Order: sequence, then structure tokens, then C-alpha cells
Amino acid sequence: MITIETIAPDLLEATLRHALAAGGDFAEVFIEDRVGLGLRLEDDKIEQTSGGHEFGVAVRLTNGEHTYYAYSDEVDEVGLADAAGAVAAAARRNASPAGVTALGNARSEPGRHPVLVPPESVEVERKAGLLRAANEAARAFGGEVAQVTVGYSEDRQRVLIANSLGELVNDDRTRLRFIVNVVTRRDGAIQTGYQSLGESRGFELLDEPRVVAVAREAAEKAIAMLGAKPAPMGTMPVVMANGFGGTLFHEACGHGLEADAIAKNASIYAGRMGELVAAAHVSAFDDGSLVNGWGSGAFDDEGVPTGKTMVIENGRLCGYLYDRLRARAAGAQPTGNGRRQSFRHVPIPRMTTTYIAPGDATADEVIAATKRGFYAKSLAGGQVEPASGNFVFGVSEGYLIENGKVTTPLRGATLIGSGIDVLKRIDMIADDFDVRSGMCGKDGQSVPVGTGQATLRIAEMTVGGTS
Amino acid sequence: MFVVVDRALDLARAQGASSVEVYAQRATSRRIKVYEQQVEELTAARRKGIGVRVFTEGAVGYAYTSDTSDASLAETVARAIANARVSDSDEFAALPEPQGAAPQLEIYDPRLAGASDADKIEIALALERAALEHDARVKTVDTAIYADGDDEIFIANTAGVRGSYRTNECYTFAYVLAEQDGQVETGDSYSIGRDISQLEPARCGAEAAQRACDLLGARKCASMKATVVLDPFVAAAFIGVLSSALTADAVQKGRSLFATLEGSAVAGTIVNLTDDGVHRDGLASAPFDGEGTPCRRTPLIEGGVLRGFLYDTYTGRKAGRASTGNGLRPSYVGTPSPRPTNLVVEGSKTPLADIIGGVEHGVLVTNAVGVHSGANPVSGEFSIGISGRLIESGRLSTPVREVTLAGDIISMLKNITALADDARWVPSGSILTPSLVIEGMSIGGV
Repeated sequence: MITIETIAPDLLEATLRHALAAGGDFAEVFIEDRVGLGLRLEDDKIEQTSGGHEFGVAVRLTNGEHTYYAYSDEVDEVGLADAAGAVAAAARRNASPAGVTALGNARSEPGRHPVLVPPESVEVERKAGLLRAANEAARAFGGEVAQVTVGYSEDRQRVLIANSLGELVNDDRTRLRFIVNVVTRRDGAIQTGYQSLGESRGFELLDEPRVVAVAREAAEKAIAMLGAKPAPMGTMPVVMANGFGGTLFHEACGHGLEADAIAKNASIYAGRMGELVAAAHVSAFDDGSLVNGWGSGAFDDEGVPTGKTMVIENGRLCGYLYDRLRARAAGAQPTGNGRRQSFRHVPIPRMTTTYIAPGDATADEVIAATKRGFYAKSLAGGQVEPASGNFVFGVSEGYLIENGKVTTPLRGATLIGSGIDVLKRIDMIADDFDVRSGMCGKDGQSVPVGTGQATLRIAEMTVGGTS
Repeated sequence: MFVVVDRALDLARAQGASSVEVYAQRATSRRIKVYEQQVEELTAARRKGIGVRVFTEGAVGYAYTSDTSDASLAETVARAIANARVSDSDEFAALPEPQGAAPQLEIYDPRLAGASDADKIEIALALERAALEHDARVKTVDTAIYADGDDEIFIANTAGVRGSYRTNECYTFAYVLAEQDGQVETGDSYSIGRDISQLEPARCGAEAAQRACDLLGARKCASMKATVVLDPFVAAAFIGVLSSALTADAVQKGRSLFATLEGSAVAGTIVNLTDDGVHRDGLASAPFDGEGTPCRRTPLIEGGVLRGFLYDTYTGRKAGRASTGNGLRPSYVGTPSPRPTNLVVEGSKTPLADIIGGVEHGVLVTNAVGVHSGANPVSGEFSIGISGRLIESGRLSTPVREVTLAGDIISMLKNITALADDARWVPSGSILTPSLVIEGMSIGGV
């Protein structure tokens, strides 16, 4: 039986040659072995504990800008041959397909994102205990708490990537995430509060005080919002809180920097390299090598080492996020942003942890400098059309700023704008940098990403409220 | 696959489990993406796996695997049993009992299996061509896709549930960018079927292009209270959000704005919404759900009155009702939970043009951004970004963009005053809906 540790380089090379038999300039085998466990608590009960194992292979062949991809969960000689045969049959022919360089020694970087306590080594009862502790901490906020949902997930994903350039890479990723969602009720009004903790790290990420803190933050948010008034509609200064506020940059800019959107000229950032796309004091990065980052790995899903890419330097656009294919077409270096949800998905350019670098004001100064405005403390998620740059975020926790002070909680607000416009209007950045974990969807693929930011102010932005 | 299913049941019995369900899936699919009249990406896929659900005195454990070897099946069964030990006991959790014969449905068209990759590529190319040739202002076809799937499902449990079926589907999707005076707008469209002969790539490509071009020249408009017409694409996105509040799961866990409203008026009297798991044309139709319970039609809103919710076995037992056949699974990796199958909003015989002709002042909404992030299915409040065209004195006029539409879902449903005759399937969620006309909505502009 084949395992990810024991698969023979000969078989991998044979598969690559088979894929390149009729045409093509690059072939790759991606093998993934993934074990996960999820626990969920709702209604004071741990329900439907679920876990499992997926093991699969994908063969990818490219020819110029054409990609042929086949995947299967039969990881044996027959499965590999079938997948290679499927891409070879579909490929555009050429007279002299690329050859296959003999695979070198396998590269791996154990310890880049240290895992001290492998989650699978921990008794599942301890994990259940954390869910119960978080539930109790949220329920302790009293009768207005109508429902508490707590989720725990662990995921160990081992990948092997072999390609016709002779590269052979192993990466072993452990991800842990803990989420709390609280629903509160008062006089018929319903509000929700959400908080999460997620990293590429072992069970050392979690202990009782930490999960209790996550639960309290979620509950405080849901209770604060019960007293919220409908948000106003109109244009005003907007202060985005640190951490979750990074979703702003992710949506307003990050997606437009992904090289597939650039290659198709379907991004407002296409053709603007070196131009001012943000206020002059704004610099921004994507960093897949951030130690223990939720969106990090030692390598991306094409075997390219992850790294830190500066995308905006003092307001000027200076970098895009590439996978191998788009880098090759653009004559650029891959940046370690070729990611896929699983072996069932073609790698595409994706963000890892994306953030605007901190400034030197304090968060209090930013708020104090705002006479009347909107304070977005946490965002519910957002969407963008990279082609037009138009984006929308839901604000899950928002407040009015009056005379330099955070006052009334506001509900039902959305922030609407267009990428470059908003980046150019950032007029203050604080020093309280923080990163949050989330899942980002694109082309039907969901991958873990981090979004980071310090508290910052946008001088003017459209707030869509209900009042 | 029944061999594997029965093997897993035997292994579970041997390990001492007496209430066990095994679900198996085997699937193949194709996805072809073209760009500038070349195949950009072709994906050929095979997928299989099983999920084992174990009930131990009301505690549920689940485990799945893509590896159906004996050793892996034994390990998966052991994991499911171990997971049940961690879960808390719940008096309503129980293995689904057999619920009678499943309906006979025509959900598999054998012709699709005979279509070649070359035929499918030609459809994707025709789709892109239709979009490019439709209007000179089309800048690029960002996405032109042909995709299909062929799925076989097998289920058996120790209470005697046993069934299998095969279903297939195919669709095209186009996402088009149009440009004028430096402004870019987008439009999309789908066509669906169970065989490639049912797809309409030319119509789909042209429609996506037209939807993008219709928005060129869009500007913000003034804030106002106005009549809003949601086209079927936008209406479907709203129905998708509100349907999550119509599941018994959301109701029982205090996460639904409809929780206490069964039997009450929640929508305009002309509104009829049904979950139809056996609709002839619905791509989500199946003889039974992810627990082996036969699928059926379940009225949700009739004449504006909330008639009921969607149940799986567990939520049904908790409410003292039968499952409505809505215990769906995303794949073998996931456990069943109450979810909609095909959602159908009944249309009318009134042409959209007549409806628009009667609107003095309003907006035809053809694109909405943020329905999933800007609408809260728990509180029902929403505020989303929209684009579309102004309606002035019964006529479509200037396109608008970067404006917001805000309100709450129940007020919106109650203010639905008309439905058009243009009902169509929107595959994201499998929703059949016409354009909806809603009075007195808040539009936020400048």
C-alpha cells in the first residue's frame, strides 16, 4: 500500500513522464493526506463529533497558459496512471514536450511553524472540556444569552509535491481553530457576537483561560449590540479597529493583487505598478512565512517556499501575488502564493496573511481626532468585485464616534466603497497591530487566510445603514 | 459500492455498535474553463468515500474516509464509535427508520455520459464567443465555464433503510466585464441541464454580456424610499439567505427570525414558497435525502402565511414531527442537517415590462454585492450594495451603482406586492424564482 512517506520517486517520475507523453511544458504530482477532527457544542451539548481521513492525488499538466488537471482518491499505481492518462489525453499536442528531470532529494522544513503538542496526541475529552468551559463563560453573561455555539477543529495536512523540474517537496501543516458564536435576545431584538482563534500551531495554542477569553469577547459583543440603534446612512469618517479590520485590505486591495486577476486585466490594480494606489504613509504586505500564522506554510501548494511580499510601499503599488503559472507568463518570480483547498482543486494565486503595516499613532489618538464618525470594531465578512474594485462589508459590531469618543452602538451597518479610493483616504494609522484568522473563498475554493491591521481611519467612506 | 457499505455495517456490528448508518458516494466530474477561445483549464475528477454515523444511547459519532480498503473501513468505524463517546447524549438523536418507498424520478440522463470532452469544450467556446460578440463594449469574459457531475449515492442502516440512486447535471456559467469611458461593470448568467443538448451557451453568454452592458454609465443616485424590483438572480440570493432561517435547526436553536411565526403572515399574500425535493427540473431533486428519507414537496409560505419548516430526522423528533426529507449532506465528509432542496417561488402571468410600466419611481436591481455578508439571517436585518437601473414614470432609465439597499427581511417579504412571469432557475442553491416587486424600500445613495 502506498503512503505519503513511502511512495517511490520512480513512480512519481513515471507519472510525470506519462502526463507529458503527448504534450506540455510542466507536470506536477500533488499527494495529500489529511486527518481532521471537529467538535461542536450548541444548546449546552456536544453534538455529532466528527473526524476523518482523506487521501488523494492530483496530476497537473500545463502547456503555455493551458492547464489540465485530474484528481482521484485512488492513490496507487492504477490511480496515478489513470490521472496522468486523463491529462495526457486532454492536453494540446506539441512536437517536443518537456522532459522530466530526475527528482532531487525531498525538501522539507520541519519546525518552520513549530507544533509543540500534536493535537492528535491530546485526549479528546480535554478538547471537549475546552468547549464546555467556553460555553459556561458565555452563558455566565445571563438570561439575555439565547444560544452559544462553540467549535473546535484540528487539521493535519501532509502534502507531497513532485514536478518535472525535478523538485520534490514535503510539507506538514497542523492547523487549530476555536470559534465562539453567541446569540443574544432582548425584547424581540436578536444580535450575534463572534470571536475566533486560529493558528498553524499545536494544542499549545489553547488552554482554558484563552478559550474563556474568546467566549467572553463574543458574548460582550452580542450583548453590547442589543442596545444598538440603527446605523445612519451616509458618508463619514470611518475608524476601523485592529485585527478584524484587516478584512478591509483583504477585500479592497488583496484580491485585486492576485496575479490571475492581473493577467486577465480584471483588476483595478492591473497596469498600475509604481503608481500611487494608497495614501503615502500606507505600506502593505502578504506574508505566508509569518511564524505559526493561520494562513502560513513552509511551502505553498506548488512547492514554492513561502515568503514576505511587499505589495504597497509608501502608497505605491510594488508587487503582485503569483503562483507558478502566472509568474512564468508575466516573467516574474513565483511568490509562494499558489494555493489550493485540497487535491481536488487547481492551485491559483491566493493571499496568505495580508496586512497594512502599523503606524505610530495610538488607537485612542485616532478616535480622539474624529469629531463625528463611524467606528467599525468587527466586520462580519465582505465581498469584492476585483474588476471594478467595488466592495461591501457587513459590520457586526459598530459604534458612533461623537466628539472624539466612542458612544452609541450601531447595528445593521455596511461599508461600501471602491479599493483605491478608500486606500487613498487612509489618513491615520495606529500602532496596535493584530492579526485575525478567517476563511477566504474564491473560485469555489476556501483556504485559511490571516488579515492584519492596526486601528486606522478612512477620512470619508459610505456607510449604508437602515436608519 | 453496496459491497463497501455492507462491509462497513458488518465491521461496526463486530465492534459492538448496533445503531449504524453508512453513506457512500461515488462521483465523476468535468470542469472546463476557456479564455480567449482556448482551453484555459480542464479538470477531470473521480471522487469516492464513505461516512459512518454511529448512535450510542443517543450520542452521535461520525467518521469518514476516502480510502475504502478493509483496514481503513475498520479504522473509520472505530473512530465513529470513539467520537460517539465524546458527544453528549440527546434523547432525540436516533437512527432514521425506513419511511416507505422513495419516489421515482428522472434525474439521470444517460446521454451526458456519452458526450466527449471535445463536445464540452465546444460549448464553453461558444459561450465565450457569444459574450464577446454580443456588444463592442465587452472588455473580457473573465469566466466562461462548462461543468458537469455524475453522482451515485448509496445508503444503508441497521434499522433497514437501504437505497441508491444516480443523478447527473451540467451547466454553463459566464462572468463578463464590460467597459465604457474607463468604467468597468460586470454581468453573469447560467444555463443548466442534465445533458449538453439542454444547455444554451449562446443565450447564456449574450445575457451575461447584456447584464454587464446595462450597467455601464452607472452613477450613484439620491437616497430615497422607492419601489424595488429584484430580478431573479438577486431575488434568489435573498431567498438563499432567508431559507437558512426556515430550517428546523435554526428554529430550535434560537437562530431563526421565523422561530415563533408559524401560522402567522410573514409575507405579502401573493407569496408562495415551497421546498420541492422532487421537482422535475430541479437539480437538487433526489429520491431520498442524506438519511434515506424520501424527498417531497414542503410548503413553507402559502398565501403569505408561514406554514412550516424543514426537518431532518433529529429536528423532526425534537418537534414531534416527521422528517420532511431535508436531511442533506454536502458530501460523504459531512453529517446530515436540515437544508433546502429546490426552493420554488411561484410566479404570475404578468410580464415584467407591465410591472415596470406601473412603477412611478423605483430601481430594478440586477446585481447585489454582500447579500451573504450584509444580511443577518438571525436578526433579519440587511444592508447590501446594489446596482441596477432607475425606473422613472414606468420606464427604465439611468443605471445606478454604489448604492445600498437596507431593511429587514420580514418587512421586505410583507411588502412584496407583485411577481413577474419570468421565473427561472438560479443554480446557486437551486432556486426557481421570478422577479419580485417590493414597495417602500430604503435606498442609500448620496
